[in-house]
Amino acid sequence: MSQTLINAMADLDESVLVSEVNALKTQGVAPLEIIQNLQEGMNIVGKRYEEKEYYLSELIMSAEIFKEAAALIGGDLSGANAASHGTFVMGTIYGDIHDIGKNIVTTVMGCNGFNVVDLGVDVPTADYIKAIQEHKPQVVGISCLLTTAFDGMKECIESIKAAGLRDNVKILIGGGPCDQTTADYVGADAYCKTAQDCVEYAKKLMDIK
Amino acid sequence: MKTNAELYDERLNRIKAAVALEKPDRVPVIPVGNSFCANHLGVKPADFALDVELAHRTMLKSFTSLGEVDGIQQPVFSPYLLSFQWLSRVQIPGIDLPENVPWQVHEAEMMTTDDYDVIISKGYKYFFEDFLMNRLDNMLAKVGPVFGYTPTAIQNAKEAGVVTLSPVVLCSPYEVFCGARSMPKFMTDMRRMPEKVLEAMDIAQTQILEDSRQALRAAGCVGAWVGGWRAASEFLNPKLWERFAWPYFKQLVEMTVEEGVLPVLHMDSNWERDLERFKELPKAKCLFSGDHATDIFKIKEVLGDHMAIMGDVPAGMLALGTPDQVHTYCRKLIEGIGPKGFVLSSGCDAPYNAKPENVAAMIASVQG
Ligand code: B12
Repeated sequence: MSQTLINAMADLDESVLVSEVNALKTQGVAPLEIIQNLQEGMNIVGKRYEEKEYYLSELIMSAEIFKEAAALIGGDLSGANAASHGTFVMGTIYGDIHDIGKNIVTTVMGCNGFNVVDLGVDVPTADYIKAIQEHKPQVVGISCLLTTAFDGMKECIESIKAAGLRDNVKILIGGGPCDQTTADYVGADAYCKTAQDCVEYAKKLMDIK
Repeated sequence: MKTNAELYDERLNRIKAAVALEKPDRVPVIPVGNSFCANHLGVKPADFALDVELAHRTMLKSFTSLGEVDGIQQPVFSPYLLSFQWLSRVQIPGIDLPENVPWQVHEAEMMTTDDYDVIISKGYKYFFEDFLMNRLDNMLAKVGPVFGYTPTAIQNAKEAGVVTLSPVVLCSPYEVFCGARSMPKFMTDMRRMPEKVLEAMDIAQTQILEDSRQALRAAGCVGAWVGGWRAASEFLNPKLWERFAWPYFKQLVEMTVEEGVLPVLHMDSNWERDLERFKELPKAKCLFSGDHATDIFKIKEVLGDHMAIMGDVPAGMLALGTPDQVHTYCRKLIEGIGPKGFVLSSGCDAPYNAKPENVAAMIASVQG
């Protein structure tokens, strides 16, 4: 456990973070352990965001340097999700390319121990269906920032149902203009206002404290 | 029966009274939207996007056919204006997209961190013109006709008795750089190279102020949008906001007032944290226009005695709600934010798929 690394991640101190990752690598610390330190730092970032000490500007920076560190570590990270709480598939609905919010949700879910499958933006229904069949997620997240894409979400969720896959997954929606009315309209299980709501919903669903 | 010229004066005075924080004979209503108008009148997005005269006529006809409006916020539209304003690429229906879907800004890292050095060494004018020509495929040639047609469009609306509120759009260096760099990249720049970004911003600001002043003089307009999109309080920690966003924005607003033009503060996203700061702007000379992400009742509480407020029927309600819901919400605004110092509109654009009957309900609601 490197407190220096955790703090560097939490404080977004890029230069300390890079040198510490390199030092740990040289000492032969397992990639997985380094990643866990980073994830712990990211959890602190998430808390500071919730407490309004951090803003989107810091979340984006954190995601950026997390990626940078992960690239430095390289190596075998396949075990990183072994102890995962469950699988979360997420994308931005077709017609919509906003991805900042989606990236935050996937990063936060990843840091909270979920195995995340990120489908990207402008995601067609067929891709959601394929991902559900392939990854058997407990939760599917759809991000949508455009009122014009509401009908796309509705169609997507109906098609998931028609494919006989709806009963096995909970579907969450979120993004700027959505609210509970939107969730009812498109047939989602719930609307989440923030990434943290998503974590709480998923944890509750899977009975994780 | 009043003539259109009389109607125009009456409406303009109504708007001026609201801005002066007085109580007009009734709350004015000034809708805004573009793709909605195309959808409403069955004009193909591909045609609307590329024919500025058609866009203007469609917008004017759409809104005036839905009720008695005092004005429209914008007289023309072209997706290329978005490109010009944020240095982003846009995808155009019929060219990059199917003919029947609205245009879309496609944010990408169009500007690199080296461009800050270019601005510092060669000036903003050089950078901007080179960017429009070489990275945005000769954008000046595409927006030229749009700017060229704008005075005719304003005159046309005037002849119909309709005030054009804000035909000019001003953007601070933050908004331009953030659009050109992409929001995630720009947010990392502010941390990784703050001094360089600020130096480039200062150089850009001088040029932007000068160009904007000329644009306002040429247009001879009632008002202009001074926009806040990606510099919103909700996105930035207070220190960054204080350094990179507010001072530049404030200067643009002050310059606009100096020119005798009404700054329409087009504030998308949530600005609640910093509302107090807007008291630094000249009193009873601005119009705060939120997109519903900032709680409009909070705006009233903090700024109600200082500037007029416009808004903010949410896009979601216009698309999914019923005329009754819209009416109820508008009356709540008219009575709760107005009747003094208030202008009714949608929160940012009425969206593509707003129901015409909902927009009509909004317009009718000022009558009682
Ligand atoms: C940045 C931005 C852009 C950028 C996007 C860059 C990018 N890489 O994402 C660009 C410039 C490309 C863009 C383009 C457009 N945009 Co835009 N954009 C925004 C803006 C300013 C911020 C969005 C954002 O990133 N917010 C920050 C993130 C963190 O917030 P968030 O996405 O809401 O996510 C949080 C929560 O909602 C939640 N969440 C989000 N999704 C999900 C999903 C799940 C499952 C869960 C659990 C939670 C969750 O978690 C996140 C963290 O807490 C908004 C304004 C706003 N207030 O939202 C407009 C906005 C969304 N855009 C809008 C519009 C209209 C457009 C365009 C159509 C404009 C145009 N004519 O070109 C295009 C559409 C392009 C397309 N096809 O998608 C409108 C939409 C209004 C409407 N009618 O629906 C908005 C609201 C602006 C406005 N007031 O008019 N935009």
